[in-house]
Amino acid sequence: MSRDGKDRSSRLGKLLPLFLATFTISMTANSGYAILAVMKDDFVNKREWFTEDEMADLIAIVQSAPGAMAVNASMVVGYQSAGFLGSLAAVVGCILPPLVVMIIVTAFYQVIVSNEFVYLFMRGMQLGVVGMLLDVIIGLFVNVTKGRGAYPLIIMILAFLYVRLSGWSILYLAIACALAGVIKASLIAKREES
Amino acid sequence: MGLLIRIVLAFMKVSAIAFGGAYATIPLVEEEAVVVQGWMTYGEFADLIAIDEITPGPILINSATFVGMRVAGIPGAIAATVGCIIIPCIFVMILLVLYRRFHDSALMEGAMVSLKCMAVALIASTFIKLGLNALLPEGVAPDLATGIFSVAVICGAFYLINQKKISPLPVMLGCGAVNLLAHLLFL
Repeated sequence: MSRDGKDRSSRLGKLLPLFLATFTISMTANSGYAILAVMKDDFVNKREWFTEDEMADLIAIVQSAPGAMAVNASMVVGYQSAGFLGSLAAVVGCILPPLVVMIIVTAFYQVIVSNEFVYLFMRGMQLGVVGMLLDVIIGLFVNVTKGRGAYPLIIMILAFLYVRLSGWSILYLAIACALAGVIKASLIAKREES
Repeated sequence: MGLLIRIVLAFMKVSAIAFGGAYATIPLVEEEAVVVQGWMTYGEFADLIAIDEITPGPILINSATFVGMRVAGIPGAIAATVGCIIIPCIFVMILLVLYRRFHDSALMEGAMVSLKCMAVALIASTFIKLGLNALLPEGVAPDLATGIFSVAVICGAFYLINQKKISPLPVMLGCGAVNLLAHLLFL
């Protein structure tokens, strides 16, 4: 068998494991960071498809792209292990559990939400969500402001005023924020040069 | 068919600006589904976020499936999920090709920091709205005892997640159960 043939069959052999791995990960974790941690353990320590360094680079890519981190991570890991088909298998594995579960939940939501017990239970969970979001905000705030001076605070305040007062699309805000960050970084780079 | 295309486009837009982790997607889905498209009420959106926490999988995909399903059934759910994947896929492929250059780029890093700051502001804004909605639900007369109890549940949830490092799933279920029991027994 030619080298190409061997390569192709080993790639095809990886499709099912990829699908099952991302399917299982997606079933068991729902925050992006938790999913990345489980994925790293699975592909670096258990399967040894990637080294620690390779995985760190892949995770950096995943975190620089928008969207759901778990889907992006599946895409990258699948692509690096088995090309386009690998990427497809991994992404389908990752989105299948939420897709199927949410289709079922939504179908029932319309029926059960009018039930008084379900309504009270949902109300309680909404209170829990508020407490949880406070934790998320504090965590992100500390992460992004640490050692960066006043700049993050200014952006946060301006962005907050924009969403509360303007009523314009968040899309423009995102573009403005990205530009502000790029301009600031290039100014710093210039200053360091001179 | 026109509706399905609108769903795909709506979630392409949401996913294109969803930087900063799972929770950063919540305000974006809120803007698109509640404000821009008018596909759901704020109360339904608040339910959706609670459901997100007790179902498996990425929050963005959960939210998209829920919205798509409510608007156009199973085809809508699939359209919404596909919409969430297209733009990130393009991004990831570009980054994979150029990745050494981008990885060390100060410009990329600068843009990411600013976008994360934006995410904090957006989540804070949603936090306020969800908080008001949870404390003063639409169509229910405000009542002091219920209000005090609700604030206590919020603080309890925050304490368990922030200090005791308990994962959100059991905390959410616990909050639901406590609220249900309290209303049945004394509120």
